[in-house]
Amino acid sequence: MLLLQLLINGLQVGALYALTAVGFSLIFGSTKVFHFAHGSTFTIAGYVFYWLYSIAHLHWSLATAAAAVAAVAFGVFMDRCVYLPIKRHEGSYFTVFVASFGAAIIVQNAIGIVFGRSFISVSTPLSASVELMPSLFVSPLSGIAIVCAVVFFLALQVFLMRTNVGVALRALSENPELVRVFGMNPRRLSTVVFALGSLLAVPAAILTSASAGLNPAIGHHVMLISMAATIVGGVGSLRGAACAGLLLGMAENLALLWFPPQWTDAVSFIVLFAFILFRPTGFFGRPVAS
Amino acid sequence: MTTRSILRAIACAATALACLSAQAQDIRIGANFPLSGPQGSYGDVFMTGSNLAVDHINADKMLPGKLSIVYEDSQGTPQRGVIGMNKLVNVDKVPYVLSSFTGVLKATAPIAARSKTPILNGSGVAPELAEQGPFFWNVLPLISFDVKAMLPYLIKERKAKRFVLIYVDETVGQAVLKEMESTLPAAGGELVAALSIPASLQQFSGIAAKVREARPDAIYIASWGAQQVQIVKQLRDNGVTQQLASFSTFVLPELEALPESKGALYTTQHVNWDSPDPVTRRFVESFRAKYPGKQPTIYAANFYNSVRLFALLSVELQKKGKPITGENLLAQRLETKAFDMVGGRIVFQDNGTVAAPMQVNEYDGKSTRVIAVLPVQ
Repeated sequence: MLLLQLLINGLQVGALYALTAVGFSLIFGSTKVFHFAHGSTFTIAGYVFYWLYSIAHLHWSLATAAAAVAAVAFGVFMDRCVYLPIKRHEGSYFTVFVASFGAAIIVQNAIGIVFGRSFISVSTPLSASVELMPSLFVSPLSGIAIVCAVVFFLALQVFLMRTNVGVALRALSENPELVRVFGMNPRRLSTVVFALGSLLAVPAAILTSASAGLNPAIGHHVMLISMAATIVGGVGSLRGAACAGLLLGMAENLALLWFPPQWTDAVSFIVLFAFILFRPTGFFGRPVAS
Repeated sequence: MTTRSILRAIACAATALACLSAQAQDIRIGANFPLSGPQGSYGDVFMTGSNLAVDHINADKMLPGKLSIVYEDSQGTPQRGVIGMNKLVNVDKVPYVLSSFTGVLKATAPIAARSKTPILNGSGVAPELAEQGPFFWNVLPLISFDVKAMLPYLIKERKAKRFVLIYVDETVGQAVLKEMESTLPAAGGELVAALSIPASLQQFSGIAAKVREARPDAIYIASWGAQQVQIVKQLRDNGVTQQLASFSTFVLPELEALPESKGALYTTQHVNWDSPDPVTRRFVESFRAKYPGKQPTIYAANFYNSVRLFALLSVELQKKGKPITGENLLAQRLETKAFDMVGGRIVFQDNGTVAAPMQVNEYDGKSTRVIAVLPVQ
């Protein structure tokens, strides 16, 4: 029964990891920007929801909408006001990364100043588990997390496959010059990518705030998981990032069967190292010719 | 030069001399508290007690000048703690430092020994804090007192036999593990699982599953700060209904306000807030007046006592015409040994620790109530 319980826990955690990882992978794959501040998007969404729902007592749907607006606004701001000027001045890939890293630290400190540096959590009856069968407890949040991950991922796939903008975004990741030749504006598409990627972090942030709580530094953990999932899933593969996020969540929880809980964080990186050593292209990544 | 200008010059000189004299008599002590970071809540609690003590000492004119505290932010981490301690002893030149958190205390103890500046520990409970040298003083009982008090209580009064320990795999957590392994068999209990966690862990649903599988009667939590809030909330969220127990780090406003912590027990040294003794009564009354809506806590009392101890020692040094230095303060403490403090008379052991009766506290969903007072173990 413990195995089943840990599988269900892993599925919930993995679903949330998958959502943030897909967002990061979408941005990285399409724009080649190592958007380290994606973790900050997650933190901002979580704290905005917490503030509006738990402190200002707004309806959860309004608080969710505001969190989504804040996350998208931050993502677009980073693209337009930080990355674009650096790229315009022919800043290197590394410069963009450092700027992103710096923005993440600024956001972390700003949130710490406003909300304090302690853990916060959104109190909701949805986090209370019910006993489905003897010794098997599942909270409604687990189901919501899994459903959210599936719905958002399917919606993203439909958007990328069935809409003109979606097709253009896929083309952007392949060949930005070709996109320009076809009369589309890569800058505008880049903004759409940041908006979409940031939006994907919102449900994960809200559900995390209700299940495990947030603190201003949580963005770093989210980023590490997103980065690991992007590599394990195969750079450029959204399907791979989703599967890898799920795998990492499951691995973290199933590790409790054999290892003390203090090793759960390390498990993600053992999985990452294993993939780097034995399958560097990840789940669905394409081999890179040297 | 006119008479008026001569008078003006004399007046200026007299004022300057008066100012210099006042400044020379003003006394500053240091405090190296977590004022930000995940443990920042503790700093707020510690400051309530230390600031109140300064108010009382200045109001009573116990010292010739005005007493004040220079605060440094240790963030509860050894690295930041060392920076803060170095600034306090080398730049601010304070003769006495209030401090907290085992990691910070251990990292800064060598600086205290080198600079001969007493460190006053009002919150750290790791056993090795009894071995940090003559300039390291503890105004609270260390962890073994908590564990030795709580386990027999749970076994006798709550009929608990099977225990699970969730502990941060650092000094204090390891000390609790060791203490439980040695105390439980003799007391008639059994440690059925010991789950070590990193201090940064935030996701406890898997731990809750492991706890349920172990089928304990009671769960002892050896963690601190906001992590405890997450542990308690997520254990309850994930179907763990057994008795929760911990030690003095459970004194946290966030836990007091958490509905899931209702029924959780924790030990602290015994302080009767309704005691008629004048020091305790003044502390309680002034605390409620200065901080409306807040209740006095054991940590506030500990740091109040730490500042009060400095004033009492300094008064004795003044009587002898000795300067207030770390070495003189230590010599005076070894000579005096017992002090009237909040909660009663504190007697220092030669190793800089105190022994005290313990009390078992229970969160009732809104506040804390004392449910048992246990003698010195």
